[in-house]
Amino acid sequence: MFWREQKAALAGFHPLHQALVHERGFAATQPAAGWAALVDSLYRHAGLVKRRKWALPARTLDVVVPLIIELCSDLGPKGTLTVTADLRGRDVPGKTGPERQLAVRPPIKSATEAWAVDPWLRLRGELRDGSILEILVVDRERKRSIRKRNPRGKIKWKRKSKLVQTIKVRRRLPAGVVSQVPATPPPPWIGTFVREGERCSVLAAAKLTRMPQSGQEQVDRILSVATEPFRWTAQNRGIA
Amino acid sequence: MTPCTVTTGFFTLGKCGVMAVAGCPACGRALCANHVTEGGLCPECAAARNQVGHPAAAAAYRRRAHRHRTAQEYSDAGWYVGFDSYDRAAFDPGAGADQDYLDDGADALVDS
Repeated sequence: MFWREQKAALAGFHPLHQALVHERGFAATQPAAGWAALVDSLYRHAGLVKRRKWALPARTLDVVVPLIIELCSDLGPKGTLTVTADLRGRDVPGKTGPERQLAVRPPIKSATEAWAVDPWLRLRGELRDGSILEILVVDRERKRSIRKRNPRGKIKWKRKSKLVQTIKVRRRLPAGVVSQVPATPPPPWIGTFVREGERCSVLAAAKLTRMPQSGQEQVDRILSVATEPFRWTAQNRGIA
Repeated sequence: MTPCTVTTGFFTLGKCGVMAVAGCPACGRALCANHVTEGGLCPECAAARNQVGHPAAAAAYRRRAHRHRTAQEYSDAGWYVGFDSYDRAAFDPGAGADQDYLDDGADALVDS
């Protein structure tokens, strides 16, 4: 019958893999071994499933999987990694806020603005040095719709959109560990905030006005921001 | 027991520490069974030769590339301090990283 072999292959995949195919996202907390099983399953997808409807969402293999692999290598024996991925895109219902009217002057008849906020990736890992790493990636799109009258009296519609991406990384240091200021400041596009206390937190944030053009660039940007909190502690090279 | 001294982790570097069963023929570091790559090399030496078929060698290659890139972005040479002499040696110029780029000697027709 229709797609019988591919349906059977799909049914044999990891449950989170199936959630990615059917729901375009998942949320789960697992140790490193559980994520390794998911990654193995995802790598088998292209060879077994060809139907476009069941293709993996964009950013799965080139962004989410590399980040999971790198963070899993830092997990402790009992540490877990939480991944909340929503790869449905920005245009699904619920991600766009209410429209608001902008002040206009002739020849503009009216202008409305709406924001679409897409927190498409959230990671939380309990690392082997006792710290907790949290990564949040949010795409924000400003959509403007403008109605204007041209010199001949015709009514024209114009649409403009602007996309920015926010990357926030927070590392909560282990209890009793004191932060130390790194020798050099971060690049200008990365901001840092340190919250002292019983458990010191280092927050690094970046706003990208130019969106990454490839999966590799996206991963590099996220890892670059995530590097900053690790420069605030002395590096430990003990037994893993 | 001799522990495996292969570097593990991405942000939080550490040593493997499992009982070693062999030594890397290039750099001499002790290796456990999981960290012996093609040709018996350690992951760092294999990555330096672009032999990244083994998962540990691929991880070493990515970690090295990330540290190299972010050390430049942050202008922070100390970010490399986390690597020890074993890790760095495989990537030193002339340390057998890629034989094609080495000098063939004074009597060679051309340098390859």
